[in-house]
Amino acid sequence: MELTITKNATCTFCGCVCDDIELHADGERIVETKRACILGEAWFKNHTAERLYPDALIDGKPATLDDAIEAAADYLYNAHLPLVYGLSNVTCEAQREAVALAELIGGVIDSHTSL
Amino acid sequence: MGGKVTCTLGEVKNRADLIVYWGGNPAECHPRHFTKYTLTQKGKFVPNGRKDRTMILVDIRETPSAKAADLFLQVRPSKDFEVLTTLRAIIKGQRIHAETVAETGLTLEQLQDFAERLKKARFGVLFFGMGLSMTRGKHMNSAALLALAAELNAFTKFVAMPMRGHGNVTGGDVVMRWTTGYPFGVNLSRGYPRFNPGEFSTVDLLLRGDNDAALILGADPGATMPQPAIDHLARIPTIVLDPKVTHTSRLARVHITTAATGISAPGTVYRMDEIPLPLRPALKSPYPTDEDVVRRIYQAVAKKPAWLPAGKGRRNTEAN
Ligand code: SF4
Repeated sequence: MELTITKNATCTFCGCVCDDIELHADGERIVETKRACILGEAWFKNHTAERLYPDALIDGKPATLDDAIEAAADYLYNAHLPLVYGLSNVTCEAQREAVALAELIGGVIDSHTSL
Repeated sequence: MGGKVTCTLGEVKNRADLIVYWGGNPAECHPRHFTKYTLTQKGKFVPNGRKDRTMILVDIRETPSAKAADLFLQVRPSKDFEVLTTLRAIIKGQRIHAETVAETGLTLEQLQDFAERLKKARFGVLFFGMGLSMTRGKHMNSAALLALAAELNAFTKFVAMPMRGHGNVTGGDVVMRWTTGYPFGVNLSRGYPRFNPGEFSTVDLLLRGDNDAALILGADPGATMPQPAIDHLARIPTIVLDPKVTHTSRLARVHITTAATGISAPGTVYRMDEIPLPLRPALKSPYPTDEDVVRRIYQAVAKKPAWLPAGKGRRNTEAN
């Protein structure tokens, strides 16, 4: 299969956030990571575009995305003090949505920084 | 960490002639830090690269980063705060007794030499890692180091920068700062932001059993947190968004698989010096992004009646 080349890709594995990586991908997985260090290479090669997991799980059983979103919304809406936590391996755009959600549900929002 | 004296990594690359790493092991944890930003790069005011720069490593044990250093100072565990305060005293010209510094693992001569090098730098930078900020003294250690960097500006140009860990933790601080005014541990349960580390930080909340539901994204606390905190996450309805089924997913009521940030999900992340960088994903994921899923949960909750009486400032940070 033809390899697609992504120039100046950004590695998010460590705080260096190197943005000079050249990625070669075959559509399903990344096969080459030019200029990435060993940690970055392992990070890029560890995630593929395959469907390895169900879209969602509810109580451990495969579920549809729509049902899982409804279930999540119900749990968060019904809680007195829900917690939104993590925010490390997500984009700023997702973090921003998470802050908005935390405000809507009247919860606490926190990240790794507090550890 | 408001009020820190800092700069970007580009300035370090172009100007820094004294680079101190304190309580961090970049050789293993930030492998390209030396070569891309600090030590070996040739810069505008350090044209000969490594030859123009001095690197000092301060740590409690000799890590592989020591090989790259010109000087390695081994501090006794949990004595960083004492070393930092002694340096600040020396720089202010106060008298120090050799016996009182003995407990730090360094001699007075070593500390005086260190202080002298800090003052003589043209442009110095103190990078500090979790070996400083997560050990005895914690944020007081960081505060002492930031104060040292600020005070050195009486002699020369000096800055400090935390060696932030993986992923987009820096972005989390920045986004929470501009949306709520605080960097982490923000309680919005009264409809306005309140900040009180120790009270509203996750581990404390979970240990006290304060939360009755949790949404976890971009983290796997089931693998990293103290067991009693994990036990509480297992007791309450926990929802996990992650590209993989994680430890936390296994104890959660709901898991939603999402695209991997930067690999198959686009967006922005912050570098440790708070420079935002765009992602260029190389793959197309069959799963939605975290951003999409959180927005959809928001929309599903927004359809329900508001929990605060109307008009009580409900959506200040609304993203849509
Ligand atoms: S390539 Fe290596 S140094 Fe650069 S961000 Fe990735 S893990 Fe960090």
